[in-house]
Amino acid sequence: MTQHITRRRLVQSGAALGAAFGLSGLQQAAAQDDPLYQAAKKEGRLSMYWGSYEQKTAEEIRDAFKSRYPGIEVGLLRQASQTIYNKLRLELQNGVAECDSLGTTNILHFVELKKANALLAHVPPDSQILPSSLQKLDSDGTYHVGAVSLTGINFQPAKVKKPPVGWKAMLEDEWQGKITIGSPTSSGDVASWVVAMRTKYGDDFLRRLAKQKPKIGQSNVDTVTDILSGERLVGAAAPFSYTLAQKAAGNPIDVVAPEDDLILNLGVMGIPRNAPHPSAAKLFHNFMYSREVSQILSKNFWPTLRSDVPWAEGRTLDKLKWYRNPPDSLTAEVAEGIAKWKEIMA
Amino acid sequence: MSAVASTPVERMNASPAFTLGQRLRHLHPGKAMVVAVVLVLLALLIVYPFGWVISNSLQDDATQAWSVANYMRIFSERELIRPVLNSLLLAAAVGILSVLLGAPAAWLVARSDMPARGLVRSLTIAAFVTPSFVGATAWILLAAPNSGWLNNLWRASAGSDTALFNIYSMTGTIFVSAIYTVPFTFTIVSSALESMAVELEDAATTLGSGTWHTMFSVTLPLALPSILAGFILSFIQGVTLFGVPAFLLAPARTQVVTTKLAELYQQFPPQLNLAAAYCIPLLLMTATLFFARRRLLGRKRYTMISGKSRGSRRVALGRWRWPALAFALFVPVTAIVLPYAALLLVSLSKAWGRGLGLDNLTLAWYQRVLVGNVETRTAIVNSFTFAIAGATACVLLGTVVAYLVERRAVRAASLFSGLATLPIVVPGVVLSVGFFAAFTKPPFQLYGTAWILIAAFTAAFLPIAFAQAGALIKGISPDLERVARSLGASEALAFREITAPLLRNGLIAAWLLVFIPIIRELSVAVFLITSSTNVMTTMIYNAKDGGDYEALCAMSVLLILSTLALVGIAQLATRNTARGAVGGIPA
Repeated sequence: MTQHITRRRLVQSGAALGAAFGLSGLQQAAAQDDPLYQAAKKEGRLSMYWGSYEQKTAEEIRDAFKSRYPGIEVGLLRQASQTIYNKLRLELQNGVAECDSLGTTNILHFVELKKANALLAHVPPDSQILPSSLQKLDSDGTYHVGAVSLTGINFQPAKVKKPPVGWKAMLEDEWQGKITIGSPTSSGDVASWVVAMRTKYGDDFLRRLAKQKPKIGQSNVDTVTDILSGERLVGAAAPFSYTLAQKAAGNPIDVVAPEDDLILNLGVMGIPRNAPHPSAAKLFHNFMYSREVSQILSKNFWPTLRSDVPWAEGRTLDKLKWYRNPPDSLTAEVAEGIAKWKEIMA
Repeated sequence: MSAVASTPVERMNASPAFTLGQRLRHLHPGKAMVVAVVLVLLALLIVYPFGWVISNSLQDDATQAWSVANYMRIFSERELIRPVLNSLLLAAAVGILSVLLGAPAAWLVARSDMPARGLVRSLTIAAFVTPSFVGATAWILLAAPNSGWLNNLWRASAGSDTALFNIYSMTGTIFVSAIYTVPFTFTIVSSALESMAVELEDAATTLGSGTWHTMFSVTLPLALPSILAGFILSFIQGVTLFGVPAFLLAPARTQVVTTKLAELYQQFPPQLNLAAAYCIPLLLMTATLFFARRRLLGRKRYTMISGKSRGSRRVALGRWRWPALAFALFVPVTAIVLPYAALLLVSLSKAWGRGLGLDNLTLAWYQRVLVGNVETRTAIVNSFTFAIAGATACVLLGTVVAYLVERRAVRAASLFSGLATLPIVVPGVVLSVGFFAAFTKPPFQLYGTAWILIAAFTAAFLPIAFAQAGALIKGISPDLERVARSLGASEALAFREITAPLLRNGLIAAWLLVFIPIIRELSVAVFLITSSTNVMTTMIYNAKDGGDYEALCAMSVLLILSTLALVGIAQLATRNTARGAVGGIPA
């Protein structure tokens, strides 16, 4: 019955969503033979500590996993990335084994965990489907891409006919007193953006930005709030996907990809070495690269994790111009970027 | 019951000011057990986790080696000193405003014939439930300089170009913090005033004093302990509040202790031990306050209920009735009516950026919160369960400790009161780490259970219950117990039959004063929750964090409605008492 409906829906609408939920019947049958699923089912539970993706998307991913792999109970703890990481750190210090899957927006968390030998090496077989630029994040396979976050420029389309074409363009007189931005001390994405701007344009960029008298909030989400309320007109270091979601909901807001690059920040996932349900975690991390998950991401305006599933308005990572901070000396650069920001902007 | 160590008369003679045995060697076995239980609980809930906070503060974040470096830093680095000064300013202003707004309103509700007293009381108490980041969000909608609705109204009506309010400022932060802190002072002072008998006021009137003179020379001085308690609690709120300064001061490029703490937690790698040390100046500040209060109150007596009391009487305001109401409505309007109107509008919008309009109306967000989501439903049940259990534990423990302290039934009264007060000054996030460290390892291993959350909430809010119970007990004359004791009643019986009934309504107020902050508390829970013990504020904060404003507003509106319902039930519960309006929740 399920399969019948599935096929008809597929043919009729071709809707990504219908395919995702309908297909699960078929895939469930195939999954029964998977030894990893059998092992995971024996474990019976998966405990997710996730900071990547907002509550709604995280819940949809969890629900899709549960319906694809019945018999595994999933506990989802969704908190801000740094909070959830602090929590895991405390657990490790106190010998608590609770978390099976950690997903945060900060690669440095995983670099630290790996250094402490606290991560399980496991390469999800389907990770080869990732866009090539996102594969093999860690040469030892202890952590992998779990989310892609893009930072761009958002604006009020009714009042701003010609938004700034790029980061540099935001420094023109026209935008004085009109810009809103989050703070790198509160937002990892804003911190990545500060590092990228300093790499591209040096501290002079921050000095000139300060002269624009931007409104400095906390999270990068605050830019959307300020634009929707009318407090400011243009958002710097703005969340690309979230702005698209708000636009689709009918709010007067839009976002552009700057000509001098969207800034790309990766959400990362890994399995703690002391995970009480490692098979379930492995199964889940592989599931993150399934079509189902990418379709959920697409529906929620997130960049998908597969090149064969486009996201909002036909975008794919290959078609966009983006820049990612090299991870090598990132710890120091983030610290330095925040210090400079405080010195110049405050 | 077994024999008492000395006769009541002997003991009264030995120390006329105190009723119950003040010498440990004379302890009644039953009382010795109570004292022992209280000591064990205080040790477990306060000393043990705080020991962890202190021990953390003495370790280096990078190496975990023992060191005083954290302390050196907090007293030498400008970046760490400035927030402390800003916090002091914020807290002092919040404390003063909270008294200036809360104490007169409490008097009007408790002792005057002002109209709509029940409404003012319910709304003022309900203001308390608003998580501070929700209040700040609402006030941003109302008073952001360019877009705030009140500013737009002002510009439209006055034809002005400039904004009337700028909520992104220290003044704005003080204002918003204060209106959500007034309920402390209001509830404590109104409880005290309602317990106050009128014979002293009558005596003043007989001697020719006018109504206002009596108020300032008799009523106000008698209410001083409660006013001071309100000030201190508000001051401490001003120090420990996070949401309001985080949202309103960031654009003003100003930091306070709590926002600096958040930065220490949010940076990578986190500096949790430095954060623990950073609480110590707060502790010193608060200790100074309590010391000052002791000096101020000295050995004066503040008995308001004695054996000879008659019911209290309301002062007729005459033509001042309506201006008084206007004043008393200030907090309900600014903390509830305006902000919740804004939140309600957003929560009923399909997309809030589109503004008002019939085509933009929906109830979908409420549906999603109430029926669409298992996660939220579990969190709601958890929040209420933890808050009911925590508030009950707090009031029981707080009352017993307050009784032992106020009646000097134990020698180390100041140790007891110090311990019961300590947690209030430690910001929730630090407390959270302390409880994690204390109760995760054997022998307790409570992590992942509801108990660790209930224990942490009990410890965090014990000071409120203790302060409220203390103010109440201070107001009850020991004579009443002495009479019972001289007639042969045991201490336990005297407490149960005399003191406890007199405290009843005040304690219901105390219960609400603890219940509500637990419901709205975010940071104490932050490291203690797991997916099955999640609470509502985490969900609300996630909505904020994910920019899900409509859902955030819908959840906040539901939170205030359920709290109002609860306050209503509490009012009913206290309505039929003999003295009409003895305690905090009146008829």
